[in-house]
Amino acid sequence: MRSGTLARLAVAGLLLAATAACGGSGGDAADGKVELRFTWWGSDIRHQATQKAIEAFQKANPNIVVKGEYGEWNGYWDKLATTVAANDAPDIIQMDERYLREYADRGALLDLKTQKDLQTADFEPASLGAGDVDGKLYGLNAGVNAYSILANPSLFEAAGVKMPDDTKWTWEEYAKIAAQITEKSSGGVFGSQAYGNDEAGLSVWARQHGEALYTPDGKLGVTAPTVTSWYQQLLDLQKAKALPSADATTQDMIAPLDQSMLATNKVAMGYWWSNQLNAVSKASGKEMKLLRLPSVTGKSTENGNYYKGSMFWSVSSRSEHPAEAAKFVNFLANTTEAGDIILSDRGVQPNLKVRAAITDKLPPAEQAAQAYIEDIADELGTVPTAPPPGGGGAQKILQRYTQDVLFERQTPAQAAEGFLKELGSEIAG
Amino acid sequence: MSAISELSTLSKTRAEPARRENLAAYLFLAPWLVGLVLITVGPMLASLYLAFTDYNLLEAPTWIGVENFTRMFADERLHNSLRVTFIYVLVSVPLQLALALLLAVVLDRGLRGMAFYRSVFYLPSLLGSSVAIAILWRQVFGGEGLINHVLGWLGVAGRSWIADPESALWTLVTLNVWTFGAPMVIFLAGLRQIPRMYYEAAAVDGAGPLRRFANITMPLLTPIIFFNLVLQIIHAFQAFTQAFVVSGGTGGPSDSTMFYTLYLYERGFGKFDMGYASAMAWVLLVIIAVFTAGNFVASKYWVHYDD
Repeated sequence: MRSGTLARLAVAGLLLAATAACGGSGGDAADGKVELRFTWWGSDIRHQATQKAIEAFQKANPNIVVKGEYGEWNGYWDKLATTVAANDAPDIIQMDERYLREYADRGALLDLKTQKDLQTADFEPASLGAGDVDGKLYGLNAGVNAYSILANPSLFEAAGVKMPDDTKWTWEEYAKIAAQITEKSSGGVFGSQAYGNDEAGLSVWARQHGEALYTPDGKLGVTAPTVTSWYQQLLDLQKAKALPSADATTQDMIAPLDQSMLATNKVAMGYWWSNQLNAVSKASGKEMKLLRLPSVTGKSTENGNYYKGSMFWSVSSRSEHPAEAAKFVNFLANTTEAGDIILSDRGVQPNLKVRAAITDKLPPAEQAAQAYIEDIADELGTVPTAPPPGGGGAQKILQRYTQDVLFERQTPAQAAEGFLKELGSEIAG
Repeated sequence: MSAISELSTLSKTRAEPARRENLAAYLFLAPWLVGLVLITVGPMLASLYLAFTDYNLLEAPTWIGVENFTRMFADERLHNSLRVTFIYVLVSVPLQLALALLLAVVLDRGLRGMAFYRSVFYLPSLLGSSVAIAILWRQVFGGEGLINHVLGWLGVAGRSWIADPESALWTLVTLNVWTFGAPMVIFLAGLRQIPRMYYEAAAVDGAGPLRRFANITMPLLTPIIFFNLVLQIIHAFQAFTQAFVVSGGTGGPSDSTMFYTLYLYERGFGKFDMGYASAMAWVLLVIIAVFTAGNFVASKYWVHYDD
């Protein structure tokens, strides 16, 4: 009798546990609605705008529910890799150029050309190229931007240093200005943030020297002497006190946008993407200005810059609702309704009709970013090859060697050699 | 022979309720058993298989034999992560246990409000491996953190302690030492087990406090020290959250806080190299097993069980 009750009790407990476990899963909403999951990275401004866009889409498509999953750039890729590996990938993925081929080559992304709901007719033709892998469209450009210097004019003014003519400036001039600002500023303000936290900087330096970070067939295209000279210049900048201390730079590399040294008004210049002008200006409370990157020759037409797809819309190849996902991407990319909300936070709109329709509605900083992108159009070189699989690791590898150079744990030549060796084995494997 | 038959007749009469009671026991065990198989043993076996494959998370794994293990010999970042982890374990665990023992002895003297102090000292252990504390650490030891403010009053120019490769690891060692509460509580319990009469007898014989500590407390406490040592070493080898959060997921600066577990995570989820990461996990298991076995062998020479 007693043990019988015990057994029954145990079974009841088990059943309870089992039902509790089942409660967590479940696919689509019970009322026949299709549920899509959508993941992106970004700042608070982007999160709010994207949520608004989702609401607008749901209003127009009452049978589709879109669930947003968003976070910081740091950690985004680990999380995405985990969900994809667990066969639990979000339907719509905000993708970066670095990882596009990684995921596409391994069959994780859908060829968007197969989706008839997705139009690309109004896109700037050149902007489609970057998401194209072997004739298939795995990522639709979500915005155009360019690697640039963001300058804080108020700190220039406080130091009594004139803003440079960025169509003509050389690296020497940049170094001189940066050192002057540190010298003439009251404590704690430095001329420039260190470069070397984003491989785009190295890519541009390579192009200024007739090389490229990656060759068209997906191999390393930059040589050790070129990387060495880049790191040597960085070390010289640090020794001239043009840059903050090595530990401040290291901390800056992992800081969120609003805590970065540029956004907290501690450096007068920093290396950023042009679409971040608005977010940094808002965070710092100062009106930032975009400057072209310096060049070796003093001609901005030879500074090696290019248009980059700031990010891409991709759809998981395992999505259960590819048509609905494509419909949502189409809404984001091709409607002025979404354009009015997102504006150019993700870069200048690649859809020319949307771009024209929203230009007047952009806040001043985004208008300035758009004008900058249009101004440099004639100065740009060819679009570099998309990074090969394994290229996703380039940024973290570069940051580590940059830290070694700045802390003088490795000479520029050692760091260049180590970086190339490590990145080389990464993209070969 | 006769004893067995006697037993069987005895059990026959009670067989029914006994079996039912066993059944109930297994049913109660079932949730744990299911969890063990699905959440621990299953994944462990899967990772053992993956350790011998090339697996990029997105495509099916392919068998490559022991290549993942042979690759480790040439992997300098792996060697660095081992070095970092060993420094962390070998420095922070003895310091942590020493501090725990010291405070346990002080608290054991019967301070007023001891329950309060015990809770206060135990608190860091509850919080120590949480993300919140790691974020707090980042603030305290950051460029504009608390430490530098205090140094500023003294006229010393600070720096970002977590962003300097010379000091970053030591902030994590400090964090681990700070979580001395759990071993301290165990030490306290151990100290309570030592009969007071030993101390009284020693005092009568003229032994001072230090002598009593060295000749009574320490020997009788060695089983507890051993227990804490084994536990904390295993714990320290598995440390992950602190380094991950403090370094922003990078193990930086310059890989100076790149714990073995962090590197494993980076290879698996950052670089899509899950076969290698699985192999690393098994190597870590072996390292921990060797350390633990070594501890048990060494314990014969210094741990005294009161027989």
